[in-house]
Amino acid sequence: MNDRIERLADEAAKLGVTKGAARDGRWQALGLAAMVVGAGVALLAYPLSLGKSDPRDIQSLIILAVAMLAVAVLGAAVFLRYSLGRFLRFWLLRQLYDGQDHIDQVVAALREPPPSSTPSPPAPPAADLTERQISR
Amino acid sequence: MTAGNGATPPLDGPVAALELRGVHAAYAGIEVLSGVDLVVPVGAVVALLGANGAGKSTTVKVAAGLLRPTAGSVMVAGHDVTGAAAHDLARIGVCTIPEGRGIFPNLSVRENLWMAVPERGRLPAVEEAAFTRFPRLAERRTQLAGTLSGGEQQMLALCRALVVDPAVLLLDELSMGLAPIVVQQLYEIVARVATEGISILVVEQFAQAVLGIADRAAIMVNGTVTQAGTPAEMQSALSDAYLGG
Repeated sequence: MNDRIERLADEAAKLGVTKGAARDGRWQALGLAAMVVGAGVALLAYPLSLGKSDPRDIQSLIILAVAMLAVAVLGAAVFLRYSLGRFLRFWLLRQLYDGQDHIDQVVAALREPPPSSTPSPPAPPAADLTERQISR
Repeated sequence: MTAGNGATPPLDGPVAALELRGVHAAYAGIEVLSGVDLVVPVGAVVALLGANGAGKSTTVKVAAGLLRPTAGSVMVAGHDVTGAAAHDLARIGVCTIPEGRGIFPNLSVRENLWMAVPERGRLPAVEEAAFTRFPRLAERRTQLAGTLSGGEQQMLALCRALVVDPAVLLLDELSMGLAPIVVQQLYEIVARVATEGISILVVEQFAQAVLGIADRAAIMVNGTVTQAGTPAEMQSALSDAYLGG
């Protein structure tokens, strides 16, 4: 009995995720901010460069724009990583419910007597169907 | 019998397997739990009872990490895990059998067990242990889970949870939609599981079904635990909780 609780205590101590969900939300926000700021600064750098005559200033602004585009791409990746996980869990849950609903309909249809007036052999009970019979 | 906050002294050692302290929870701003205190001692079966809508399932969701509390804390083996993700809690040994079982209906019984075991090398040993514990499932190992009877689906859900050797098991409405004889069989299985040292929190609307195996019981009314104690002490409080007054 104590082994289980000791193992649980060890794993819970290693977990260290008292603020796990909030941390995910912060990364999402950071990714979104990086996207917006990166794209915004890159777009600003272009009209600024039009007003410059010195090629070195123009080059500096080009470098800034490219760097900010990289920041925007990185921000998008961070945002997707921390938001996709939650979406995929809900999607899986939805698939489970839809699958159960579909199976319930199939089982109900198999258990109903055939509509024709002539007698026909009874369908096998649904509970006896194996995966091979259903997939045929 | 204790009243009010519902905290119960531990049966075995100072550390509770699971403890909720002052937990508040809400859905879309509407508070459902208003300061829940609940203790599941190590190796004990604790029944959480109450009428429909009392907040029992919400309590399980908070304990399982499926719902983040708005206030309060969730402690597992003495460590604060408030806000931990449900999959992290499941990985460390806090397993939940939700209302509705949560099995994969279009997979066979064996495949449902495989989903709980990431290491392929362990599969034969896991299957043998599972089907020894649940011989009825062994007879239906290739049958689609969605075509099992309600009681067999509940057995499969229990079997899958036990495959990962949990330390804490959260059971939400085990008896939902099942005949009394099937419910009795399931709770006999739960009682056998409890002897292996697994700490179990059972949420149940039908009190008599679970009080026969519980070490402690707590009654929830309108989002708070109003009474807690041994099953014998709870009998008189049950009618008030379900019928009011």
